[in-house]
Amino acid sequence: MAFIPSRIKRHVTDTGEAKLNLTSMMDMFTVILLFLLKVYSTEGQLIQPSKSLTLPNSTVEKTPKVALDITASKDWIAVNNKPIVKVKDIMKMNGLIIAPLRKELLNYATEAQRMKELYGHPFSGMVTIQGDKHLPYKVLVRIMATCGKSQYPNMRLLVYQQES
Amino acid sequence: MAFRPSKRSRRPPESTELKLTPVMNLMVVLIPLLLTSAQFIRLGMIEINLPPAVGAGGTSIGVPKEVEKKLDLSVTITDTGFYLASSLAVALGEKGEGPTIPKTPDGKYNYAELSRQLYEIKQKALGIFTDTNKIVILAAPDIDYQTVVSTMDATRSIKINGKIYSLFPVVSLGATVI
Repeated sequence: MAFIPSRIKRHVTDTGEAKLNLTSMMDMFTVILLFLLKVYSTEGQLIQPSKSLTLPNSTVEKTPKVALDITASKDWIAVNNKPIVKVKDIMKMNGLIIAPLRKELLNYATEAQRMKELYGHPFSGMVTIQGDKHLPYKVLVRIMATCGKSQYPNMRLLVYQQES
Repeated sequence: MAFRPSKRSRRPPESTELKLTPVMNLMVVLIPLLLTSAQFIRLGMIEINLPPAVGAGGTSIGVPKEVEKKLDLSVTITDTGFYLASSLAVALGEKGEGPTIPKTPDGKYNYAELSRQLYEIKQKALGIFTDTNKIVILAAPDIDYQTVVSTMDATRSIKINGKIYSLFPVVSLGATVI
């Protein structure tokens, strides 16, 4: 037998349409949006830390600037993401200067000098070193010595900022 | 007498709900966009100052040595701890030998003690020497990069009672004999 609707409830005008109550969700979204807008830096992330290494942590507060990139991971030394020399080979070398790295840096330096002559783009001799946190000091010093001897005396070490 | 509004022309009340769908669309697009471009890891940069080139026998004879009194402070990191050295004297450990600041018993470097001793040196050196913001960091060949960076942090500033005092922010790295 079919269901007989109650006579008393005939005036109830519920159409059976479900409505979402979106107000609270909107509140949440607005808060998230404002937070993200505040965090968002207009400079953007100009320097991408390399994936193959973990940078050391530091309490320094200076923000990095764009410069020529030297990446020293556990295995390779790279200049602007182009692998140059293996760390293992550096360990075997004598002396402070890493010859292949010096050659590459001098290439970049001459290129930058030409840019300076042609377009007046200043050559700062600035280089950013991204080193793995377990890099031994002797490798770091050799890289830095090589930079200093290859027209890149302004060195910066890239680190993760950490609250002190 | 005013006209009485017609009863027949009354319309059913319009729905008073806000049209949230366009706003929702906007939010759904904006939030992922901002989330992906936000940088949660902040990068920093430590400036390295090359030690001034020392010309072999290049000192000019006419300049008297008293004009500039150099502190020439340096910290050497070794496997056993920190050695502090300056033009005053090599600050020796309590026993008269070994590192100035040995490692803590659990094998960690004692950065807090390093900062504290440097703070004392800074207090003594202020006004006497000209290079009271410079320090040279040296390390044994196998010290890892994180230790060097942490040492730089310790030598840069010290926090005493919530106030940050600058110690020796101009840092240069020296090469030990490799």
